[in-house]
Amino acid sequence: MIPTILADDEVLARQKLRHMLLDEGEIELVGETGTASETLTLVRREKPDLLFLDIRMHGRDAFDVVEELSSDSDFRMPTVIFTTAHDSYALRAFEVHAADYLLKPFTSERLKIAIQKALLQIQSRQTSQPAINAQNGANPYANRIVFKSRGRILFLPVSTIRWIGAEENYVRICTENESYLLREPIGRLEEKLDPQTFLRVHRSSIVNLQFVKEVRTENTGESVVILLNGQRLSMSRSYRSRINEWLTRC
Amino acid sequence: MRQAKQTKLGATLPSFMSLPAFLGIGALLAAVFALQEWVEVRQMSRHISFTLLLEAWGVQYLLWGVICWGLWRFLGKKLQTVSLFWALAAVLPLSLLLSVVEEMVWVLCFPNLPLWMPPMKYWPRVLFQLQAEMVDGLVIFWCAFFLFRGVGYYQRFREKEAAAAKLEVQLAQARLHAMRTNLNPHFLFNTLNGISSLMRSDVMAADQMLEQFSNLLRICLERGEAQLIPLHDEMEFNEMYMAMQDRRFGGRVYQEIHVQPELHDALVPAMILQPILENAYRHGLSHVSEAGVLKIEIRKEKARIRLDVLNSGVGLNPEHRRSSDSHHFGLVNVQDRLRLHYGDDQSFSICEIAPAKVLVSITLPLQLCEDPPGVLTEYGA
Repeated sequence: MIPTILADDEVLARQKLRHMLLDEGEIELVGETGTASETLTLVRREKPDLLFLDIRMHGRDAFDVVEELSSDSDFRMPTVIFTTAHDSYALRAFEVHAADYLLKPFTSERLKIAIQKALLQIQSRQTSQPAINAQNGANPYANRIVFKSRGRILFLPVSTIRWIGAEENYVRICTENESYLLREPIGRLEEKLDPQTFLRVHRSSIVNLQFVKEVRTENTGESVVILLNGQRLSMSRSYRSRINEWLTRC
Repeated sequence: MRQAKQTKLGATLPSFMSLPAFLGIGALLAAVFALQEWVEVRQMSRHISFTLLLEAWGVQYLLWGVICWGLWRFLGKKLQTVSLFWALAAVLPLSLLLSVVEEMVWVLCFPNLPLWMPPMKYWPRVLFQLQAEMVDGLVIFWCAFFLFRGVGYYQRFREKEAAAAKLEVQLAQARLHAMRTNLNPHFLFNTLNGISSLMRSDVMAADQMLEQFSNLLRICLERGEAQLIPLHDEMEFNEMYMAMQDRRFGGRVYQEIHVQPELHDALVPAMILQPILENAYRHGLSHVSEAGVLKIEIRKEKARIRLDVLNSGVGLNPEHRRSSDSHHFGLVNVQDRLRLHYGDDQSFSICEIAPAKVLVSITLPLQLCEDPPGVLTEYGA
């Protein structure tokens, strides 16, 4: 069970979240607060693993709370999921390593995704917190990307990306069920992704090797990468050697 | 389709550039120069009739007044836009010619001038007069020329201002209309009733509908004041709008969107497609019970961008159209805004390309967004 506190100055917002959390088996609600100072007190006393935090509350805002809690080196900062009606704090939330950023109103589906991400974060912290930190220092590659898409804020774990296609100045990031168009050159994205997992197979595509089923050469001599879901991506000759290298490694 | 009333920008000439105004300025200058010469002659202790001076200068400048007015009236537009080459090749000879002709007419009017000289025949008098006055004539002509150019710049400036103001109002209307579309009683209460009903059977679906609705409103409210936005932003809004409609239509409509990659940054007027999509759902897709089709295709055609919206339904049958005249506001507004943004350099057409298949096509000049609005994309652990 994950001890959880929810902080929101709106009674109805708390009520909604409380009801939604009843369906989430892993979550154990240990307290609710309506102001920043109450939150500080309660979090210090209860030491929860997870904190749902509304950004704009009476008095100080949520970032003050996070800052104050994390400045205390003896205290273990809970994993934070922000809940807010404003999308303008997303970057700050991402920078303070929030697990997710929920824009109100959100669905229980969306809440489940946020909780999954929080659980992963909590697990990795519990198992090997110092190791993770050390790894973060050494690993220059992104584990997740924050962006806006269709009125939502997404903290997308890169491991869910199946493939990425370039569309001029944009890239289309494809996950299992959705695709997102971002204004970002594919080269910049390639630099940020771990080459152990993400391979450029063409001038205009990158694949996540976790989702590659096979590499095939067609009768026409053209090479294609086939993903687990059957999606075919053409591969240029100049990138062929890279994938061969990877294939031999496996 | 009701034709929107033609907006006439640039057709109006400033009222101060009229014949009386030209003659008035001519008369004023004539009076000043006559007085000046009279004083000069008096100082040289000679005598001259002031009336004669006034007549001579008056005719001189009134002639120029008429000439300048004529230039403005018949060549004004050309003179305002003439290139340097044509200014040298055509306007310069014209200025010489007009100066000579003006002097010839003037000499004809005053056979007794110049005073204090032995009587001369017509042509020697013209020649004499030209030696004295040719430069003055040219100066007057070129002053008028640059005045016309100045007035041209002023006019264009005013027109741009007026067009911008008008555009502002139109966009506000479009935005309001889009808000009303989402919040009109029919849509709102149907959505609420749908949610209310879903809450008994499928709380998740009810939740989703509310979330979609608020995301749509969020984008709508946050769009800011930009008139032209990157196509990517416009399409994001349309995708959301279509996703909402898809829920209402229960997946009965097959949707397809294709945008040529190099056009994601193309600038298009904000909310230019939404009224067209709304129209497609309202007048086309809502009338068919089986599978409907809605396709958006956006592609580049040379230096232009073409936006096609194709929908199945009932075609352009006039009976269906008449029942809902108010909804045409949307399409009229689209056409008005296209015209205001691009003048004649755009096209809008709506036609039935096959039985019960309606295609709306827009073409615009292709402009790419130089500096796309700040996007929030960051990488992290």
